[in-house]
Amino acid sequence: MSNCECNTKVCPNPLYEELDKFINSQKRKKGQEILIPVLHKAQELFGYLPIELQEHVAKKLEIPAGEVLGVVTFYHYFTMQPRGRHTINVCMGTACYVRGSKKVMEALTSELKIKTGETTPDRRFSITIQRCFGACGLAPVIMINNDVHGRVTPKKISGILAKYE
Amino acid sequence: MAARAQVLLCAGGACISSGTDSVKSAFEKELTNHNLTDEIDLITTGCMGMCEVGPTVIIYPEGIFYQKVKPADAKEIVEEHLLKGRVVQRLFYKKPATNELIQAINGIDFFKLQKKIALRNCGVIDPVNINEYIANGGYEALGRALTEMQPVQVVAEVKTSGLRGRGGAGFPTGLKWEAAAKEISKQKYVVCNADEGDPGAFMDRSLLEGDPHSIIEGMAICGFAIGANQGYVYVRAEYPLAIERLSIAINDARKLGLLGKKIFSSKFSFDIEIRMGAGAFVCGEETALMHSIEGKRGEPRPKPPFPAQKGLFDKPTVLNNVETLANIPYIITNGGAEYAKLGTEKSKGTKVFALAGDVNNTGLVEVPMGMPMGSIIFDLGGGIPKDKKFKAVQIGGPSGGCIPQEHLNTPVTYESLPALGAIMGSGGLIVMNEDTCMVDLARYFMEFIAEESCGKCTPCRVGTRIMLDLLNKICAGRATMQDLERLELLANTVGKTSLCGLGQSAPNPVLSTLRYFRHEYLDHINDKKCAAGVCSTMMWAPCVNACPANVNVPAYLGYTKYGRFDDALRVHLRNNPFPSVCGRVCPQWCTVKCRRDDLEGPLAVRAVKRYIGDLREDYRDLYPVKEKPNGKKVAVIGAGPAGLSCAYYLVLLGYDVTVFEKQPEAGGLMRYAIPDYRLPRKVLAKEIHNMEKLGVKIQTNFTIGKDKTLVDLRKDGFESIFVSVGAGRELLPKIGGIDLPGVLPGTKFLERAAKGEQIKVGNDVMVIGGGDAAIDCSRIAQRFGAKNVTIVYRRTRKEMPTNPIEIREAEVEGVKVEFLENLIAIKQSANGRLIATLKKYRLGEFDKSGRRAPEEIPNSDEDREVDTILLAIGHKPDPGSILSGDYENAIKDGTLVASEKTGTTPVEDLFAGGDFVVGPSTVIEAIAAGQHAAKSIDKKLIPGRKEYFWEKFDLPAVDFDPEKEITEALPVEFPMLNATERLISVEVEKTITKEGACREAGRCLRCDYKV
Amino acid sequence: MKSLDELRKIKEDVKKSMEMRSGGQRVKVVIGMGTCGIAAGARDTMKAFMETLDAEKLSDVAVTATGCAGFCEREPVVDVEVHGQKPVRYAKVDGEAVKKIVKQHIIGGNVVQELVFA
Repeated sequence: MSNCECNTKVCPNPLYEELDKFINSQKRKKGQEILIPVLHKAQELFGYLPIELQEHVAKKLEIPAGEVLGVVTFYHYFTMQPRGRHTINVCMGTACYVRGSKKVMEALTSELKIKTGETTPDRRFSITIQRCFGACGLAPVIMINNDVHGRVTPKKISGILAKYE
Repeated sequence: MAARAQVLLCAGGACISSGTDSVKSAFEKELTNHNLTDEIDLITTGCMGMCEVGPTVIIYPEGIFYQKVKPADAKEIVEEHLLKGRVVQRLFYKKPATNELIQAINGIDFFKLQKKIALRNCGVIDPVNINEYIANGGYEALGRALTEMQPVQVVAEVKTSGLRGRGGAGFPTGLKWEAAAKEISKQKYVVCNADEGDPGAFMDRSLLEGDPHSIIEGMAICGFAIGANQGYVYVRAEYPLAIERLSIAINDARKLGLLGKKIFSSKFSFDIEIRMGAGAFVCGEETALMHSIEGKRGEPRPKPPFPAQKGLFDKPTVLNNVETLANIPYIITNGGAEYAKLGTEKSKGTKVFALAGDVNNTGLVEVPMGMPMGSIIFDLGGGIPKDKKFKAVQIGGPSGGCIPQEHLNTPVTYESLPALGAIMGSGGLIVMNEDTCMVDLARYFMEFIAEESCGKCTPCRVGTRIMLDLLNKICAGRATMQDLERLELLANTVGKTSLCGLGQSAPNPVLSTLRYFRHEYLDHINDKKCAAGVCSTMMWAPCVNACPANVNVPAYLGYTKYGRFDDALRVHLRNNPFPSVCGRVCPQWCTVKCRRDDLEGPLAVRAVKRYIGDLREDYRDLYPVKEKPNGKKVAVIGAGPAGLSCAYYLVLLGYDVTVFEKQPEAGGLMRYAIPDYRLPRKVLAKEIHNMEKLGVKIQTNFTIGKDKTLVDLRKDGFESIFVSVGAGRELLPKIGGIDLPGVLPGTKFLERAAKGEQIKVGNDVMVIGGGDAAIDCSRIAQRFGAKNVTIVYRRTRKEMPTNPIEIREAEVEGVKVEFLENLIAIKQSANGRLIATLKKYRLGEFDKSGRRAPEEIPNSDEDREVDTILLAIGHKPDPGSILSGDYENAIKDGTLVASEKTGTTPVEDLFAGGDFVVGPSTVIEAIAAGQHAAKSIDKKLIPGRKEYFWEKFDLPAVDFDPEKEITEALPVEFPMLNATERLISVEVEKTITKEGACREAGRCLRCDYKV
Repeated sequence: MKSLDELRKIKEDVKKSMEMRSGGQRVKVVIGMGTCGIAAGARDTMKAFMETLDAEKLSDVAVTATGCAGFCEREPVVDVEVHGQKPVRYAKVDGEAVKKIVKQHIIGGNVVQELVFA
């Protein structure tokens, strides 16, 4: 990202081009109203939202960069830290909590030897806490990327992780 | 060849125990006899959910439901129903309230209780096929509204329906629409709130995934009614599948012209955009949600102005929840009046509930408003897994509250819940069993809210933080009563002064748990104890915490694993001087909380305990070190487990203790109630003998009130007196004929049997009651040669206050248990036998204990002739028989005033414990009571001791590698005698082997080990 | 969409074609594909049905998806409707179960007792 020269007209990073294309495809192409959809797209493309990227978005939408930072830091879903290839979201919703998500979390952190919010040194996994995926019928639940795994027990953890390279 | 009919036999656990297998073989025989095996399929299924009336049978294609089918009924069903097509009325299900006969499965409450309106298409149609939605009547409501109605008529119809916002607050939808419709503005908006943030609620997700077109149609109708042409659906980013399906649905609707310009050739145009949330709970609040759609931080703003006047982009806006909108097409198609027929006066229609947590049927149910909470959890939800005890249900998420067992009869409506300190919210129901700590639950919600507070207003931002700190302190066992006061004060302040609904409702979980479970807060603060075994900083290990006497289970298992049995026994004797007794009769509180239960099953702790206890005849060298005599005398009245335990601990602390016992031998209920096939006399004698050798003096055949009074003992120099004489007063039913010969109180019967008397009981014996005493009576009667022993209990198997293993063992030995019946009269028959009149019962409303109370079925009396009737319905303490002189000051209204935790009473030198204080309980609870009283007595007589040896825990001095892989191993099983061997009075259970004990102990996960 | 009649025509057409489909297709298999179902393995269930039907060379079976019917605890839930008979609902249908359902129920005409949702 450091070599990205957003001040120049041509941006060398193809991901930026794709983001700009997304912005241009919107009904309204600038202004605060489309900020959140654009940030979703940006995080999908880049994996996280570093300051340079936020500045780029601010410029494109013609809004203050501070406003973008304000929104990014407000919502849990947006992150300014790089994540692993696979994000493990452990549901700490009430149903999962009473059905033992604490124990699942303990098993995960001891298996991967990282804490909640951290990424493994090989960038394979990150662990985060989420509030309720609405799959309470299968509590406790974890979501790896977009796959929901239900009725997770500490015993099942290593088998589930093995599916993600 | 395909079968023309199917006979479905329920083979759920309950039906199997009521005899599915024999019914099945009867059907097989009958079908073979009539050459029907090719034509008719006999199918055993999983639980049909009607366990009370099992074994149950359903016959398809008609769907006829038969209950309580006995093997003898198979012939009639096959010959009448399957051959001649005539249903067998006699076996129909009877509706509990009206006795109305119900034949079809769809007529039964379990299935009939649901009424699907919002969920009408979920699980029925293909959600991404718009044609299937149309085929099921979809978009008809929109078409009719646009072509046949005026906007005001649409609003009127919604007002008539009485529909209220399903998202939480329950504001009447029609009024909201009316307000927005009245505003004059070129631009208005319809917003669908699909930011389903309450943990435990997932109806919106399910609707968006299962029937997205119903939301689109509902929004378009709303747009027409209020004059809006743009809609937004605000969906959580956590619901990718919902977003995907809704996008497909919107595109399909556009393609068919159901969204876009001039829909149904009217002047009305409408389109919808999806906005994805980004993980902020506060965005479920309507003003915050609108800020988020505008691309801003999702912070709320004060109201008024209300969204209907000044909403999204400052234009008039209607915000409705997903479920609310899903009801709209039904209301327009069928009319508001039709919808209003369902529910209660102020809460119309149906509500979708998400059942989650500790409940068997997790999932979604839709029921008419006003159904009792207990019915939703037990009739639809199927009750609590593993037959654990229901504790409370949390409704309304972090803004809601919990409803405890005593309010299970409450009809669920918008009005009734606030009265209990809860709210409807979005309808997420989290069911919690006895393993949930309510303080931890409040802490959990506070953590959630503190994290989700947007920070705009101080009371919420700072107040929830401080409340969380206080709750953390309580859960860690570091809090004082002042902290609790501060917590309550803050809760009230934050609720009154916060800006938005999130902050105003943030203290609800705290206030609600304080309202119903204040004692748990007090346990955490005063006793540093979390009874549920959740708050781990206060526990040595979950099993130790669960054991009333706090026996250091992992330590003695740790030693046993390596064959160091003396060390194991030494650990055990610190907290419980009865290893061999408890190795036989302990109900194992420890295993209920055993973490190994998450793998293959809990440790067989009792089996190991019995093994190590039985190894040594004399184990005095393993007792804790006895202190030097301090010259103080203490008297103990009653040589049961509580009295002996108290004496044991006091002797170890250096006291001179004498135990006075009325009976010829010591042991109390262990000697005179628990039968010797469960606890052989010599095992008990061994443990008491060891104690006597230690220095416990026991004086038997000594009756207080006759030989001496308590005041006399005080004069004799006893500085404190501990009374533990049990619950000696037998409770007898208030019916005629209980004095007839052949009618015996249960405990008297057990006592006589224990004294070696051979009692003539005849062939037919009836035992009344459902507790341990009833089971023991029945099994003793068997051993006295009775041929037909029947236990009569007025509730059902689930409610029996005894260990299920005991019931099973009795049944193995041939005892019959009949439920939902009670004895109402006894007469003498002409031939000198007894005639027992029984009345039938059914389960009615939920009582205060959270169980369904039995209610009489009129005209259901039935006479039975028997030889003996044993009355074992219960017993209670009789303090007046022991306490005299100034000791009577400890009695109030006939009941002894004593602390269950410390044994102290209002009389300074009087202490009490065991069944004498709490009523019938278990041996281990009595041992614990003796332990606690010993501490209280010592604190009073020689103040200043800082630590008691039984409150100190150590790791066993053995190797343990916490990193080592856990290998799977099933729990060891007790070797048992078979049913015929048993009836000669010998012990039914045997001791496990040395290898078995070491292997079982090795399964322990060693939760005491902390890195 | 121009008129209610046009909508009702679609409705009738779809109904007819749905009937025709079940006329042409002897069996309809409907799989619960909500988040719960998928998390419990409904995608694999769907795949297993496709593969097994393919392997058995059955072309008269329609496999479709639906949303969550509310029985999250027992997902994946599958309804099998043989033309002219009542639909049978199966619970916790995994790969092995699919093979049994295809062989025993769809081909053999006998309901797989132990898997029936009741």
